[in-house]
Amino acid sequence: MLLLPQALVDGLLIGGIYITIAIGFSLAYGVMHIIDFAVGEWIMLGAFLGLYLSQWTQVEPLLLLPVVFVVFAVLGYLFQPVIHRVLSGKKGNPLLMALVFTFGLAIAFKGLGLTVFGFFSRSIPSAMAADSFTFVRGDFFVTIPVIRLIGLAYAIAVTLALSWILKRTDFGLAVQALAQNKEAAGLMGISAKRTNSWVYGIYVGISAMSGVLIGCMFSISAQMGGKYTVFSFFVVVLAGMGFLAGVPWAAFLLGMVQSFFLIYFDPGYTLLAVFIILYAVLLISPKGLFGKGV
Amino acid sequence: MRRGIFAFWLFIGLMAVVPAFVQNAFVLRIVTELFMWIGLAITWDVMAGYAGYLNFGHGAFFGAGAYTTAILMMRCGWTFAATLPVAGLLAGLAALLAGIPTLRLKGAYFAIATWALALAIQQLALVLDITGGPDGMRLPPFLHPVFFFYVMLAVAAVTFLLLWLLLERASFGLKLKAIREDEAGAMALGLNPARIKIQAFVLSAVPAGVLGGIYAFWITFIDPASVLADIITDQAMVMAVFGGLGTLLGPVIGAIVVFSFKTLFWAYLADYQVLYLIILGVVIALTVVFLPNGIWGTLTGQIQARNALIKGMAIDPAQGRHPEQGADSND
Amino acid sequence: MTEPILRVDGVVKAFGGLHAVNDVSFEVGKGMIVGLIGPNGAGKTTIFNVISGYYAPTRGRVFFKGSDISGLPPYALAKMGIGRTFQVVKPFPGLSVLENVMVASLCRHPRKHDARRHAWDILEFTGLGPRAHDAAASLTLPGRKRLEISKALALEPQLLLLDEVVAGLNPTEADRTIELILKLRDQGISILIVEHIMRVIMNISDQVVVLNFGQQIALGKPVEVVKDPVVIEAYLGEEAA
Ligand SMILES: Nc1ncnc2c1ncn2[C@@H]1O[C@H](COP(=O)(O)OP(=O)(O)OP(=O)(O)O)[C@@H](O)[C@H]1O
Ligand SMILES: [Mg+2]
Repeated sequence: MLLLPQALVDGLLIGGIYITIAIGFSLAYGVMHIIDFAVGEWIMLGAFLGLYLSQWTQVEPLLLLPVVFVVFAVLGYLFQPVIHRVLSGKKGNPLLMALVFTFGLAIAFKGLGLTVFGFFSRSIPSAMAADSFTFVRGDFFVTIPVIRLIGLAYAIAVTLALSWILKRTDFGLAVQALAQNKEAAGLMGISAKRTNSWVYGIYVGISAMSGVLIGCMFSISAQMGGKYTVFSFFVVVLAGMGFLAGVPWAAFLLGMVQSFFLIYFDPGYTLLAVFIILYAVLLISPKGLFGKGV
Repeated sequence: MRRGIFAFWLFIGLMAVVPAFVQNAFVLRIVTELFMWIGLAITWDVMAGYAGYLNFGHGAFFGAGAYTTAILMMRCGWTFAATLPVAGLLAGLAALLAGIPTLRLKGAYFAIATWALALAIQQLALVLDITGGPDGMRLPPFLHPVFFFYVMLAVAAVTFLLLWLLLERASFGLKLKAIREDEAGAMALGLNPARIKIQAFVLSAVPAGVLGGIYAFWITFIDPASVLADIITDQAMVMAVFGGLGTLLGPVIGAIVVFSFKTLFWAYLADYQVLYLIILGVVIALTVVFLPNGIWGTLTGQIQARNALIKGMAIDPAQGRHPEQGADSND
Repeated sequence: MTEPILRVDGVVKAFGGLHAVNDVSFEVGKGMIVGLIGPNGAGKTTIFNVISGYYAPTRGRVFFKGSDISGLPPYALAKMGIGRTFQVVKPFPGLSVLENVMVASLCRHPRKHDARRHAWDILEFTGLGPRAHDAAASLTLPGRKRLEISKALALEPQLLLLDEVVAGLNPTEADRTIELILKLRDQGISILIVEHIMRVIMNISDQVVVLNFGQQIALGKPVEVVKDPVVIEAYLGEEAA
């Protein structure tokens, strides 16, 4: 009982990060109907870019977030036409071929990571990593590392920025039109190709940026991708694929699962629980907890 | 078709005499493992290529078979031969139980669900006592490479034959393809998709389980990181995609090419083993983009197109057929 | 009186609050052609989906040769002898025309060899023989509609549901299809046909059912139905709009 506040707070703080590894993904799914098995690898690559950049420039890694975002957004933007080509293929089932394609990407990126970064775990040294607040009231106490607080703030900022873009800008309206109806959007003069490229760029950029934050809080390694792909899928599926408003709730749930297993049960069972919940939700309500997926 | 049967028996016959000439344990080992991958690639293709369902958890059937043999031999004192049917049956039963709910999901949802389920099983094997957890299980060494060579060959050959009979000769393959193309439309023609998909799922799982059982006894050590790793599914998938989905020979050829490449790579470039991952990944991605029908599919497609062209010219050039469309037919 | 092949009895199909089909009752006698007409969105395709098992009726029942088939799945009905075409054609695009039909032929001829021969016969009959080895995806709309009919026929059905198989064809093709339909009727197959083109329905139907907004507004011989003021209003109303 004494640890309950800590478990809840941890869950909330970790959950924040999971919003950002899933929200771009969910957006890309909503618009392009692409399931990207390489999401975890984008996160990994972003984390390592952050690590090397900060070592090289000696700049606080958190300040490098925009740089990482821009680099990977451009990469994603340039990369999207290839995916578009697969998705618009005429042979076989393009959707399934796209799945296989991103799966291949994930393997290649992982191999690339192992080759360049080696097998060791690292962490990104941030000046904020050491500090924490502790609140004590009676028997209860809660420790909040500053870096996690920053993570939550970052998550909220990304979420708000994204929803602002989607609701208030012409680009955002184009994205929404595309997500709802491809043909109609085309008639309105929206170039699906360009918009898709931007969406994919934004998604890759956000994922990579989140990798840097993850690296400041936890350890990173070339093999980390698989785990974050799982988490990303977990959040996106529970939220309802393509349903952005569901993402925060599902992310916090995942954060809670993780913190409760860490504090109350055996952390070795966390992944098992995550997989079982993911599988069960897919079976019972494939459109997510809110039934709003596409 | 007769030529195909002949080629099949010729291949089996050639392979059967290999141990008489090749004493090199390394080579025998490689060929034995190749048979295993052929079996895994063609069974994966039953669901992916024929039925249009990407099973990202195929390796779990293999792992289930491996653990069945290991547990029966080590904890129950069974002989190896007796465990194999059980390994197959258990994998089949797992497919039946998992398939009934999972096969209701379509497309990406099915892919993610099978993937999550397989990873859950891996996690489960890590925490259970009966599987030995992360330490895995050690089996009594049985150092007869030739024995395993023949057992793998036999199981892979029987699997191939069974799939060929069901998918190519009998009507089951056509039914699966109809479901792949349009599940709702197939229902109007008297097909029960739920039942046919379950049958296919079980059909793909049983041989994978048997192969896993053989593998466990052959390698004598299994753990969740080896027999339940996602790399097993990945590799089977690469082989099938690279060779050509929806055909039986495609995955076989894909398995031969990819596995030969992997072996050479690991043998001569041992320092760069992770490079293999890069190449594997890039090969899948490039195949999807440039050869969506795989090498075999593309090749037969071109031959068919040429035949259609010749036939069209010989019979009735004015009939208005479009020879190039022959390439679309994918068997 | 003998039991009709098909009896639709007070069928209602609601999607949420929308009653796409509302209390519809009619019969299709053996060897008859019954036309089902009505403006766009009247519920014609929906009633087809109910009869062929794609939707369970919300209320009411469907009888096939006297036995209650409401709620049975499509594949069971196909086996019992109900063949249907889809308004939005559903070819198996990656399979050849022959293979498309073979899938249906397997229903009565489980051996692949027999199914292939049977499918060839069907294709000869419907005139698609020359395209047998082409990919279904390569067919143009008239070809696809013909393929729809071929597949339904390959089930050797006693009742055939045709959803707008003439619409979109040029006059020559339309005449060929109508000829085909009459031939099928002469073979003893009972037919329920949806079509917008009045000329077609009036010429070939023995009975006509008229739907409007899910309601059945008329039922009778073609000549009677066209004179029915309610029907005229439904159609004129649409044209005026
Ligand atoms: N699956 C569904 N869910 C919700 N509403 C549906 C569904 N199918 C049909 N409807 C609605 O039911 C009504 C009847 O549709 P239906 O397709 O049966 O009309 P129809 O008579 O075949 O029209 P048309 O001549 O255009 O083919 C329409 O308002 C349609 O929007
Ligand atoms: Mg209609």
